[in-house]
Amino acid sequence: MRTNTRNKSLLLASSALLALALTGCNSTPPVTSGIGAESLPPKEQLQPYLKVDNADLSDKLAISDVLNRKSQGFLEVNVELSSQYKKSLKLQYQFNWFDAQGFVIEPEKSNWQPVVLHGHQSIKLHGVAPTADAQTFNIYVREIPAKAYKFD
Amino acid sequence: MKKITLLTSALLAAAITSGCAQRSVVQYGDAQAVETTDINFGSTDLQKIANQMTDSLLVSPVIGNLTQNNHPVVFVERIKNKTSEHIDTESITDSISTKVLRSGKFRFVDMTRVNAVREQLNFQNEGGLVDPTKAVQFGRQVGAQYMLYGNLSSIVKSNQDKSDVYYKFTMRLMDLESGIIEWADETEIRKTRTKQSIGW
Repeated sequence: MRTNTRNKSLLLASSALLALALTGCNSTPPVTSGIGAESLPPKEQLQPYLKVDNADLSDKLAISDVLNRKSQGFLEVNVELSSQYKKSLKLQYQFNWFDAQGFVIEPEKSNWQPVVLHGHQSIKLHGVAPTADAQTFNIYVREIPAKAYKFD
Repeated sequence: MKKITLLTSALLAAAITSGCAQRSVVQYGDAQAVETTDINFGSTDLQKIANQMTDSLLVSPVIGNLTQNNHPVVFVERIKNKTSEHIDTESITDSISTKVLRSGKFRFVDMTRVNAVREQLNFQNEGGLVDPTKAVQFGRQVGAQYMLYGNLSSIVKSNQDKSDVYYKFTMRLMDLESGIIEWADETEIRKTRTKQSIGW
């Protein structure tokens, strides 16, 4: 009888703590890793040029095609992003541009652009290099954190 | 039994009083990250508009022809704000003209600084302090061949559970001599705010 009461109390205590831990002050920083791709030479396989830092996101989302061309002297890029997830994904993507020597062009001026991808939708992200010097690029895609953004 | 109750309440009290206190923390953020603080016009909207307009202008074949052998001079008229919000449209204009100028396709004249320029030239030519042979002369500036202008409008709707705002930004490039619009494009942004149930 006595052991039973003790067990009950322990259960109560641990469940209260668990509830507190779940509802309490969640100050963990958001996940800011994602998936990316680099510019690839024509007729190359895409796979070696992909970058996966976030396995959870890469289960839901894939970069399925990377195209580039010169348009009026500027490097123009189309990156196909396809969802393998039934729900909508709220994402942000960023292009970075590099010149022939591999130097970044317009550093720290490349914005993250928001994009909503509906369930199993494919879209083409479009980017144009800021100057005619750009020869290569990379793209990175990550989720928009649902909570207020923190940089802890 | 008593001990356990005491221990439980002590643990709970400790958990409640620690950790959950509000404190203000100052830190640097990423100026380029997507910002979703509220539904009003924000930095992400400004950056998206500036990016899309510049990209469209730079890869347009018509603009390619215009800028093939020369860098035409453009003046930017202030973007008209037709939304219900107060938006600093000069900031949008600045972002677009800076991006276009840095691309090397166009050159710009700045109409917002005409009075300051006139004052400086007056000082150089009539102040008596500047060597007349080295003073910048009146009447040597280059006139703009094109005018870049645009509108920002919005449609706002809301009910008990949802707010929705739609922005439309239109931009045009006009040949000042012929009045022909050589390039135009528009971009749209939709933002919604819904009440979310508590979850993780």
